[in-house]
Amino acid sequence: MSGLRYVYAVCHPYESPLQRQLSGVSGAPPKRLTHHGLVAVVSTVPEHEFTEEALRANLEDLDWLTATARAHQQVIDALTAVTSPLPLRLATVFRDDSGVRSMIEAREEELRRVLDRLAGRVEWGVKVYVEKPPESSDDSSGAGRPPAKAVSGRDYLRRRRDQTRAHDDVWQRASEFSDRLHATLSAFAEDSRMHAPQNSALSGATGQNVLNAAYLVPRADSEEFVELVDREKDDVPGIRVELTGPWAAYSFAGEFSEDPGVES
Amino acid sequence: MTERRNRLDLEPDTVERDLVKLVLTVVELLRQLMERQAVRRFDEGGLSEEQEERIGLTLMLLEDRMAELRDRYGLRPEDLNLDLGPLGPLLPRE
Amino acid sequence: MTVVERREIALVDLLDRLLAGGVVVKGDITLRIADVDLVRIDLNALISSVNEQVPSPWGDSP
Repeated sequence: MSGLRYVYAVCHPYESPLQRQLSGVSGAPPKRLTHHGLVAVVSTVPEHEFTEEALRANLEDLDWLTATARAHQQVIDALTAVTSPLPLRLATVFRDDSGVRSMIEAREEELRRVLDRLAGRVEWGVKVYVEKPPESSDDSSGAGRPPAKAVSGRDYLRRRRDQTRAHDDVWQRASEFSDRLHATLSAFAEDSRMHAPQNSALSGATGQNVLNAAYLVPRADSEEFVELVDREKDDVPGIRVELTGPWAAYSFAGEFSEDPGVES
Repeated sequence: MTERRNRLDLEPDTVERDLVKLVLTVVELLRQLMERQAVRRFDEGGLSEEQEERIGLTLMLLEDRMAELRDRYGLRPEDLNLDLGPLGPLLPRE
Repeated sequence: MTVVERREIALVDLLDRLLAGGVVVKGDITLRIADVDLVRIDLNALISSVNEQVPSPWGDSP
């Protein structure tokens, strides 16, 4: 069959069928490809959409990226209900079935090692945000009035200085808080990964993201982990903690999280 | 055919607006750098009262002027920024 | 505390996990003029030149 092979994940063989009718990436339903006792979950996708050149363009198209990411996630989610998959990066594509089998053969030892590592584990995401500090105002006329304009050059500098100080204080506290929180959660979890801080233009979140971390936790310990985050979050003014999950262990797939691309 | 975002738009007034946005972003960078240095000098007490007043007024007027220019082109403060990829945003996002 | 339900998963969180190097927003500028790389280089030079060694435009301390 012509077309390329899009691989979502690798896993141990599983019995139950995937939960629902999955449309898959590019509307192509996922199928199992078993080789050397390992299962690659695969969709056949059109070449014009997934060659390296096409991908480069498509990855910059937010609409395409969104649709593909969501479809990919749906498949991973369905797999997580029946097994502990090793999720691959978006757009991990091979030329044909034989290409997928070669990959499995070449990396069998590593795949098994990571699969063992991830078996029965899930990922939780924790983000810390610094909220915009309140406008420093030496206007004593009370709440609700916008701060008056500076009345002189020196006044302007003074206000700017006060704003900077207030801002630095918040950042200092946020930084210390994040370090503490990360240390505590890392001690409880089996492993952790840091992601780059998120861009609020894309996330639409208020405030600035200062910590964006993922923690690997055995499924059975999830409830305790959530309680721990809840306890540690402490109501620190100007700081917000967000928890997401449980995710499949996307961030802990090791070398399989490296750059994808079309492999022959 | 679905329209891709960020498609090159050849309307003249958008071209001008985008150029202005780029230029004002650079000006805003300079303004913030100057202001930051001025506030630091002010805080350290390294300026005479006269200097403080002069510099403060200049910065205040500069801020007003920037606001005027932004308004003229319908730009919000957060529109003046550049994403430098791995270097993060050019200007702080607060 | 926000525990996000499965069906409300934010795109950014997903992209963090699916893409190498995370997500970079290109921004609103639709023109490919003033090659961003060029601007970046210029501005880096500018930023690094604004430091303690550069003579202050405010004149020396009194």
